[in-house]
Amino acid sequence: MTANPSALTTADTHHAAADTHGSGGIGNPVLGMLLFITSEVMFFAGLFAAYFSIRAGYTQIINNVPTHVWPPTQPIDFAKLLNPFQLFTESGALNVILPATILLVISSFTCQMAVHAIRNDNRTSFVRNMAVTVTLGITFLLLQAFDYSVLMHEGLNMGSTTFGTTYFTLTGFHGAHVFGGVLMLSVVLYRGMAGQFSAKHHDMVEATSLYWHFVDVVWILLFMTLYVL
Amino acid sequence: MSMPPRSRTGSGPLIAGLIIVAVVAIAAIALLAAGITPERAWNSFFPVGGTGGVTDRSRDVQRLYDIVFYIAAVVFILVEGLIVYSVFRYRRKSTDTDLPPQIHGNNLVEVIWTVIPTAIVLVLFALSWQTINQVEAKVPAEVHVRAVAARYQWSFDYLAADGKTILFTQSLPVGEDGGLVLPVGEPVLIDLRSEDVIHAFYVPKFLFKRDVVPGRLNQFNFTVDEPGTYRGQCAELCGPFHGSMLFEVHARPKAEFDQWLADQIAKANATPAPAPSGDAAGPVIQLAAQNVAFTSATLEVPAGPFTIHFKNEDPAVPHNVEIKDASGAQVFKGDIVTGPIETDYRVSALAAGTYTFVCTVHPNMTGTLTVN
Amino acid sequence: MATTTLHPAAPAYRSRSTLYDWLTTTDHKKIGIMYLINSLMFFVAGGILALVVRVELAQPGLQIVSEEFYNQAFTMHASFMLFLFIIPILAGFGNYIVPLMIGAPDMAFPRINALSLWLLPLGGLLMASGFFVSGGAAAAGWTEYPPLSGAKFSGTGTDLWIMGLTLIGTSSILGAINFLVTIFKMRAPGMTLFRMPVMVWTVLVTSILVLMATPVLTSALIMLFIDRNYGGHFFDPNNGGNAILYQNVFWFYSHPAVYIMILPAMGIISEVLPVFSRKPLFGYKAFVFATVGIGALGFSVWAHHMFTTGAVFLPFFSLMTFLIAVPTGVKMFNWIATLWRGQLTFATPLLFATGFLMLFLIGGLNGAFSAAVPVDFALHDTYWVVAHLHYVLFGGSVFGVFAGIYYWFPKMTGRMLDEGLGKLQFVLMFIGFNLTFFPMHQLGLAGMPRRIADYAASTGWSELNTVATIGGFIIAASMLPFFWNVLVSLRSGKVAGDDPWEANTLEWATSSPPPPYNFDHLPEIRSERPVFDARHGRTTNH
Repeated sequence: MTANPSALTTADTHHAAADTHGSGGIGNPVLGMLLFITSEVMFFAGLFAAYFSIRAGYTQIINNVPTHVWPPTQPIDFAKLLNPFQLFTESGALNVILPATILLVISSFTCQMAVHAIRNDNRTSFVRNMAVTVTLGITFLLLQAFDYSVLMHEGLNMGSTTFGTTYFTLTGFHGAHVFGGVLMLSVVLYRGMAGQFSAKHHDMVEATSLYWHFVDVVWILLFMTLYVL
Repeated sequence: MSMPPRSRTGSGPLIAGLIIVAVVAIAAIALLAAGITPERAWNSFFPVGGTGGVTDRSRDVQRLYDIVFYIAAVVFILVEGLIVYSVFRYRRKSTDTDLPPQIHGNNLVEVIWTVIPTAIVLVLFALSWQTINQVEAKVPAEVHVRAVAARYQWSFDYLAADGKTILFTQSLPVGEDGGLVLPVGEPVLIDLRSEDVIHAFYVPKFLFKRDVVPGRLNQFNFTVDEPGTYRGQCAELCGPFHGSMLFEVHARPKAEFDQWLADQIAKANATPAPAPSGDAAGPVIQLAAQNVAFTSATLEVPAGPFTIHFKNEDPAVPHNVEIKDASGAQVFKGDIVTGPIETDYRVSALAAGTYTFVCTVHPNMTGTLTVN
Repeated sequence: MATTTLHPAAPAYRSRSTLYDWLTTTDHKKIGIMYLINSLMFFVAGGILALVVRVELAQPGLQIVSEEFYNQAFTMHASFMLFLFIIPILAGFGNYIVPLMIGAPDMAFPRINALSLWLLPLGGLLMASGFFVSGGAAAAGWTEYPPLSGAKFSGTGTDLWIMGLTLIGTSSILGAINFLVTIFKMRAPGMTLFRMPVMVWTVLVTSILVLMATPVLTSALIMLFIDRNYGGHFFDPNNGGNAILYQNVFWFYSHPAVYIMILPAMGIISEVLPVFSRKPLFGYKAFVFATVGIGALGFSVWAHHMFTTGAVFLPFFSLMTFLIAVPTGVKMFNWIATLWRGQLTFATPLLFATGFLMLFLIGGLNGAFSAAVPVDFALHDTYWVVAHLHYVLFGGSVFGVFAGIYYWFPKMTGRMLDEGLGKLQFVLMFIGFNLTFFPMHQLGLAGMPRRIADYAASTGWSELNTVATIGGFIIAASMLPFFWNVLVSLRSGKVAGDDPWEANTLEWATSSPPPPYNFDHLPEIRSERPVFDARHGRTTNH
């Protein structure tokens, strides 16, 4: 009869279980987050599948002939409107999507630096990098909100062909995920400032940074499909 | 170390026996009560009551069905037999104090019962694939019809050889004068078209159905090889009155069909679509169709010509007003209009008496018209 | 033997818990029981709707409801039964039994577990609230195909349905994550993957399916919601959208969902059969591989629901669908081999398990007809399909659920359910089930489409429909002894003791009901039957 030490208490359940098994040190929250990200990947896979299916089947009447064209050029030329490498749209509004992208990518690096810092028990550097990450995340959201207002002003909305529908659905759900990520990062930052994390105890930081990287990767994919390809 | 057997034998076989007796008894009583002969019962396990399909392709489907059916029947009897045998043979007896042999498995039998089902399903797949190719084969067609499905009405456009020009439209889905009329022995091509929701073209005697998807052109070929009238129905949920979206296929000998088609085309060309009349003749009575029902069950008009101001309030649903005399003969038939719409039907003088009015599309919609 | 009597005086669970404790608990056992109770309530609601449908169809002509309500009734019947009964009740069993089976004190994330539970009644009530808005509940079938489910043809009930189902889906996803982390990280020492009870394996595979498939459903629902409410055009063919797209995304979830609904029931059967035949499960590893195989193949067959759309590559999906029969067949043969040369005790759990075998076999065989694509052209969307899915999900899953209830009720409550009432329920349910659903094969062959509110007398469908309706009422009657049994046995059932069935798995090594955090001591785990090993002094590896 073997007693199971982990069965006697619950507070440290996952640590006890992890210790008993020595299963590579991956904590329950981190595994849970990886699985959650898997489900999020499938969610975006569903939206992307819809996007590509609609994109492949889209036709527009040009000179009385249904022609495959993407992005649609009617009612406005979306390709021109969305060109990320032009800082101003044709009507002179600011196009901030490329700067926003760069900021989001940088935030992934600062986030990883924060994780690196806490792994080395450097709490000051951890808090500093995490604060930068949160700020960058919020800035991205603000820039995206600004970008939406420009696009809507120029005539791109949810109903402007399937392009508008897929564009706003994909970027909108990504934005919602960024918002969720910022909330999680803020909690991490708050708890970090309260000194709750250490080199030994920071599963939540690891889990949150995984999520943040995921959000970043989704944006890079979106940027490539919606703006570049 | 094993526990002594508990006194829990005895009721098992009784219960099992009771179940079987009860199932058989109830089934037999139910069948007899409904007057079902063994032959009819057996036939009910085959498509359309064992009467078989009426198109060239339906025979291929039927053959495949029979193969699957007999294989499934054999597997069913074998496996259910094994279960029932185990249930009766291996009940725990009061002498069973020691454990039975603790067999954890046997790789040989696992392989056997993996390989044999795999072989069976691969054969079935090969046969299915072959039949798919037969059923889906495209052939040059003599008759090209576009079946248009709209909530809750079928209509059939007979198309010219170019596949575009409409020769005439059969807007009555059922009845002697209506239905999808087709020649026997001639290859037919059907286009499917819907402007509202997804429907499905389903004729049980064809052993076939195909969805009618808005924004998508589905086509299929077949040849009817037995004359007759075959029931058809929408098979994809399309709204509350999905169940009343019926049609009929009338398969007629080639000569008869050709004559019919020529007549219909001539008739369609002779009577251009009647324009809505400007000034109504005689008194105007109001009638509306709402939720696939007439708003009034009785109408009363004085002798002489009159006008029915008909309001079809059902979006995307076709209705009209048809008037029949006491013997059931048609005395007036208004054009079928798809709602929401308002129209005037001018009816010439009717002899005094009682008539029925009905929607041609929805024979359930009826009312009484009294001419004073 | 010592391990089984560690909690000789565990008090009955009712006496020490207030309502508040239950509503705020994070104990996987209480959460599991609440899953079961919530699911059974929706089972009753869905059953009443099913009776409405059956009564309406018993005779030609509309008798009791309008066409509009009829469509709401069958739509909500299916939605309740699938999303709020079968899936959650199996998750409830998983919740209760998986930590016990692997020797863990609780689930990995107890608070997320409570969230998963409470999302269910919330989502369910949201869905059901459609009955009280103008236009009524969702009525486009549980599949909610656009354009019919679009804003033009369906009312607010559909939005409530979408919101409710999104919450239920979120509950499933969180539950799946919880199961996976629990199973991967919290197993007791000695509990290797291949010593886990098959029930745990089925929950593991089911959780992977939920994790991969349910988010795709969420994406389909969200696109539908955007189309309906924010002027989107995803599924709008008049504006560049694609109506078939929804079906692809929907079935990418909903076919794996069929396995989400059947695999844990298979797991229950695989626990019950060995115990009541006093033999180990025949071919444990083959069984595990078959479960994994079904899960993997489950992702490549979704389009067999769409053969008649004309938008599907038929041979591929036909082949994959046929191949599913192979691992399923392997399971069937392993179950029978488990019975073979055993010493069978026909307590109620084994009766339901045997019922499962007999009925699920039919559900597998009549599915093969639809895998043969041209035959599916004839049978698709007819009552044949209704027969098929009920043989799988009622004859299979629901019989499995009742086997599980009778099997684990003693563990959950400390008291046995009454055997006589249990057998009465089984007999009524078995007869009623076959009377209801077997004739639907013939109705489908005779050409009766599903989802129609009415049919003409001239079609000749009335006799079989009458029989099916009578059967439906017998099923309903079979629920009376069950609920009576539960009520009576909770108060005055025979005291169960720790291990009333002489069972195999770890949940029987603790008291009935188990204490908070489940175990003080665990028996040595050397096989997939640790309690059996302890009982028979087999502590060496076999």
